[in-house]
Amino acid sequence: MPREDTINGERLKLSGYEPTDQSDWVTGLHPMDEMLRGERLPHIWCQGCGLGTALTTFISALQWLEKNQKWDLDKVAIVSGIGCTGRVAGYIRLDSFHTTHGRAIPFATGLKLAKPELNVVVFSGDGDIAGIGGNHFIHAARRNIDINVICVNNFNYGMTGGQVGPTTPHGARAVTTQYGNFEYPFNLPYLAAAGGASFMARWTVLHARRLEWTLRQAMAHRGFSFVEIIAPCSTSYARWNPEGQGLDPQKLRRRGLEVMKHYQKVGKIAHHTHPKDATITVDGNGLITEIIEGVFIDDPKPDFQAAIEQMAHSAKEKWIAAKKTLDERLQLPGRTDYVPRTEVQLGGFGGQGIMSAGNIIGQAATIYDKLRASLTQSYGPEARGGAAGSQVVIASDPIHHPHLIEPTSMIIMSQEAYAKYVVNLSAGGILFIDDGLVRLPRNHRQDIETFGISATQIAEDLGNSRAANTVMLGFWTAIGGVVSKPAMIQSLTDSVPPKTIEVNLKSFEAGYRKGLRIKGRQ
Amino acid sequence: MVPHGIVQIIEERCKGCGFCVEFCPRGVLVISQHTNAKGYHPPEIIESTICADCGLCALLCPDFAIYVERSETSLEKKIEPDTRKKFKS
Repeated sequence: MPREDTINGERLKLSGYEPTDQSDWVTGLHPMDEMLRGERLPHIWCQGCGLGTALTTFISALQWLEKNQKWDLDKVAIVSGIGCTGRVAGYIRLDSFHTTHGRAIPFATGLKLAKPELNVVVFSGDGDIAGIGGNHFIHAARRNIDINVICVNNFNYGMTGGQVGPTTPHGARAVTTQYGNFEYPFNLPYLAAAGGASFMARWTVLHARRLEWTLRQAMAHRGFSFVEIIAPCSTSYARWNPEGQGLDPQKLRRRGLEVMKHYQKVGKIAHHTHPKDATITVDGNGLITEIIEGVFIDDPKPDFQAAIEQMAHSAKEKWIAAKKTLDERLQLPGRTDYVPRTEVQLGGFGGQGIMSAGNIIGQAATIYDKLRASLTQSYGPEARGGAAGSQVVIASDPIHHPHLIEPTSMIIMSQEAYAKYVVNLSAGGILFIDDGLVRLPRNHRQDIETFGISATQIAEDLGNSRAANTVMLGFWTAIGGVVSKPAMIQSLTDSVPPKTIEVNLKSFEAGYRKGLRIKGRQ
Repeated sequence: MVPHGIVQIIEERCKGCGFCVEFCPRGVLVISQHTNAKGYHPPEIIESTICADCGLCALLCPDFAIYVERSETSLEKKIEPDTRKKFKS
């Protein structure tokens, strides 16, 4: 109904929408009419089609749940894709959603995640779910999201004229495989089980009563529940295949019924069959000789939402523990003097600890010296051996731009990084190099100060060559002096693995002493 | 006691698929000789006294054209065997 408002006593229709006459929408002729959109009936499904029966059993299951389990049908949403079965969303008088081809499950996933209180049912065909939307199907099953997928399988693309589809049995005829289908079909419950669904069943529409019980069970199930309904396609599939009596003109108007009678013969109820063995067997002519039916798996494993909650719970515990150690961390007085924007470039090859060195500087500055810092990183796709760089900006004021504008000091630990970064160092800047690894070229810049330390050699002598970055940090701290030594030591202790704290502290001290000596000489 | 049902047919909705006639466990229905407005032959009640209100016809009907109402009377437990056969050649 459009919203109506009153201004100065005049009633105004805000939307301008005139509601259509709904008097004939609910005819009340049939007990299920209250669940149907009367204005859209009669439906398009052919004489003898199984889809009507699938819809009847579904409505019957919903009515039972409403009556006996006190379900609120306003909290049930139907999502359909494209195809004959896709029209269910249009015929049922519930909140329903007719989506693009194959995308019924993604829409349903979004619906369920946004409104977890809804009972979302996907009602679509085999082409829509297993063909065009096959990938969505296996991934929804993998997540075990709490939606109910009802897939009506009529073995072909019925609406477009009966082309071969992903479930057409091997050897069966379709309009595009007149000499028999040479492909092998999907076993849909097995596909769902392999994906990780927690409920799967198969029934033919003939077993309407059992199908209704299973639908009740599936809708009440928490997790991804999949029900495959085998339905006759009286016009397309049955025309080409023996169970519909082929092209026999005597049976022309009764093909759906012939297929139903055939289901009565070949249906075999075997609950708890492993989905692998729950096959639809065909003979050489494509005649179905056995359909294994029943509820194959009903597994109460946690669904997607429960898994999210579980993960959130454990993450919260981890965070509380982490926060406790952070709160108990040593507090340093911090720097009170003003530090202007200082930019540091670190460069080397992957594995030298360039990233962690940048991190240690930033942490020392922000947490222990109570300054502000930002860290950006750049590296190639390789984890070890490629070029790596990290950029740290330290200042007392807020940092509005995290990238380097005028780097005033650089820590360079490889020849490649020298070639790449040193050109950017501002005039009068300080360059720190590992002189065991970097050879200064003849045209080395004269407008910068250069200090060298054989960091890798020193770290190796102290027992761990991977502490070379720590030697460089000690060296940089002594000469550069942007971050205080106690802050660096604390930050270093927090960051390196516990076993290597000792060797790292020794390396830092060695670098620091070397730096002080050079500084004293000047 | 067996409940007794009264079958109600909405003829204009019927598409004549024959599911209700074929699968009625007691043989209450047959295909009629007359047609509805669409030209299909709707089912017709031939033996109204034996319907046990199982509701299978209502569940199987794809066109929402048949349903069963519970009668106030009830049936004897046993019915004549082979009523089903009697009306079907």
